[in-house]
Amino acid sequence: MASRREFLHMGIAALTLPISARVALGAAPENSAVKPVADAAIPSVPLYKVVYDTRYADSVAFGEEMKRLGVNVHAIRGDITDFWYHDLYAQWKQSPAAIAGLTGPGALFCLERLAWDHRMRVVFRADHRYGRYQNDLADGGEAGRIEHMITGPEEVVRKSSEFVSDEAGWPVLTASLLARFPQARARLQEITSETKRSCSERDPEHLVSWVIAPKVSTATA
Amino acid sequence: MRLPPGVNSKDFSDAIKQFQEAVGNDWVFTTDEDLDLYRDSYSPFWHEDQDPVPSAAVAPHSVEQVQQVVRVANTYKIPIWTISTGKNLGYGGSAPLLSGSVVLDLKKMDRVLEVNEKNHYALVEPGVSYFDLYRYIQDRGLKVWIDVPDPGWGSLIGNSLDRGGGYTPMRDHFDSHCGMEVVLANGEILRTGMGALPGAQTWQQYRYGFGPYIDGIFSQSNFGVVTKMGFWLYPVPEGFRSGTVLVPRHDDLVPLIETLNYLMNSNIVQGTSTIGSPLLMSRTAAQSAGGSGGSALLMVPGGPSIEELENIGKANNLAYWSCNFSFYGPPKVIEAQWEYAKEKYSAIPGVKFEDGTEFKLPLSADQMEAAPKRQFGIPNLTIFGMMGRSEGHMWFSPIIPMTGEAVFEAQKVFGQAYKDMGVPSVQQIFVFPSSFFPRSFVILCGFPIAHDVEKNRRNREIFKGLVKVAAEHGWGEYRTHTAFMDTVANVYSFNNHALRRFHETVKDAVDPNGILSPGRCGVWPKHLRETRGLQS
Repeated sequence: MASRREFLHMGIAALTLPISARVALGAAPENSAVKPVADAAIPSVPLYKVVYDTRYADSVAFGEEMKRLGVNVHAIRGDITDFWYHDLYAQWKQSPAAIAGLTGPGALFCLERLAWDHRMRVVFRADHRYGRYQNDLADGGEAGRIEHMITGPEEVVRKSSEFVSDEAGWPVLTASLLARFPQARARLQEITSETKRSCSERDPEHLVSWVIAPKVSTATA
Repeated sequence: MRLPPGVNSKDFSDAIKQFQEAVGNDWVFTTDEDLDLYRDSYSPFWHEDQDPVPSAAVAPHSVEQVQQVVRVANTYKIPIWTISTGKNLGYGGSAPLLSGSVVLDLKKMDRVLEVNEKNHYALVEPGVSYFDLYRYIQDRGLKVWIDVPDPGWGSLIGNSLDRGGGYTPMRDHFDSHCGMEVVLANGEILRTGMGALPGAQTWQQYRYGFGPYIDGIFSQSNFGVVTKMGFWLYPVPEGFRSGTVLVPRHDDLVPLIETLNYLMNSNIVQGTSTIGSPLLMSRTAAQSAGGSGGSALLMVPGGPSIEELENIGKANNLAYWSCNFSFYGPPKVIEAQWEYAKEKYSAIPGVKFEDGTEFKLPLSADQMEAAPKRQFGIPNLTIFGMMGRSEGHMWFSPIIPMTGEAVFEAQKVFGQAYKDMGVPSVQQIFVFPSSFFPRSFVILCGFPIAHDVEKNRRNREIFKGLVKVAAEHGWGEYRTHTAFMDTVANVYSFNNHALRRFHETVKDAVDPNGILSPGRCGVWPKHLRETRGLQS
């Protein structure tokens, strides 16, 4: 039996869209403002909305950058109810549409499960754990750093792991990366990286950057 | 391909083809990628082989498709595990109890069939979530309220059948239902109550019909697949007000709850009330008693004596106990109810009252934002926004008598049990009781789930120990995670398990092949009864 970690890998591996699926699933939703800032040679996932949490400076920086890149954003304060009830529900009822965010894990937990019911999956996930105290970090390592565990398509993960070493700019760089998340199927990778930065009480314990996108319709055996 | 227990690969392949014919290829799931979504997000078996995994999932759109699926399963003796939306996290989610079962996922049956605002009821399918029904009502401007659990993304039918609770006068969700449609193991449909009368005009208005009333046997059970259910709704009240009663001494809890009983059982207080302790939850007071920063007085090891606590409360102007109230109805009436409650409580020396929020309805959009969502039957996911590094939880939820003495005893008994079982002090949190159901208290104690095999093993043992200790004191769980259904069912053992034997007799009669949700709430079909499904 596959372990949960293997399951996560298998899940994400099967989810990134083959280019051919783009036609079947449609391009950006009509009401999306997003015309991704993409290299024309690499088709990217059109993002319907990006979610960020106004309680946390890093998340706000992420949201601001997405806005600057022309992506529609939705601000939350931990709770995604309003976003779900007044916005996303109607969009997903009409057709699946990719979303991304830098939020607390609770917001992603909800959105991921709601996405499953619409045949969508998390295709990229990076857990950012803030070491405010010594025992905050998974390995009991030193405080004064943010630990990033990044899982997703190889190329995105590689770039992301480079970006997160930027003490001040990693949320902005992550936004720029996820705004042009590639549609093409790719090998998966998981990398753990870190940002050296002192963390304060104002920082969260844990943020997650993520992309949720439509899965390919799979024929059953 | 995973196989259901006791089913060979040829039969299973044939059954899968027939499931596909019944519901369409797109709605039969057999890949690991799809099936892993049906695993329990809050599984106490993370990284263990016992973590249950389905062999397939089938999502019908109609009752006719449910009938076909059940008939196929019955033909091939394939165990099916029914879920509505699978969102009852903490109680097993969408995962089957018996690994290898086929999940019968009813989320595509999501039609609101009727909402009647004159007689205040709704008729819905199992895939209708609280959000769905709320949206239906709001979009049409209907003057009825629903009652929601917390969080509100689950199914009305699923939550009601699991006997969940909420916050408004309609908070006992099973008690608020009226009439069911059920597909039996042989594929036949029955309707309960007045629904048994062809052309019935009161299916959602009169519960009992004629003859034995059987709705209860389809809750927390595996005797049929419920495909429609009626619910009584609450007419939008003209007003709402909340209030809190605060009492200064430890022993004041006894009259506090005695009066709560009187007010609740007289229908003067209609919503859920929760007992709290401003003193025990105070971090400031905890520090003055020698506690470390950030922890509440409740968690100070060894703790001060009751007398010392009362003095700390006095010095910090903190009540020992509190009880909150919700009133629904015409403003004049609810004002009078609150005044009457105050009058009754004025017999307790030193009692104080805090007037809470008052609303006149209907609400403006701004007021709606400010309204207490749960008390207004507004579904929400707010609780997840507070999640920190949690990897999940399961609920230990015993029912205890609604008396102060019982609360004291529960505090003492569970406190001792925690110590005896070596539970870390940080987990020894006494959870205050709530009146989610009339005439009794439930203690909802969240047990942490970890992605750590040893921690989960330890927590499972502690959980089982608490179930046993509770039972020794006459307290039983009202509902439990699938991992503990046998454990909990075992303590309901009056007269040599007469109730369980009766359940088994019914099971053998209505589901002789034992295909429906084997093991749910401790009810196993004959062929798995001895092993309780453990051979798989």
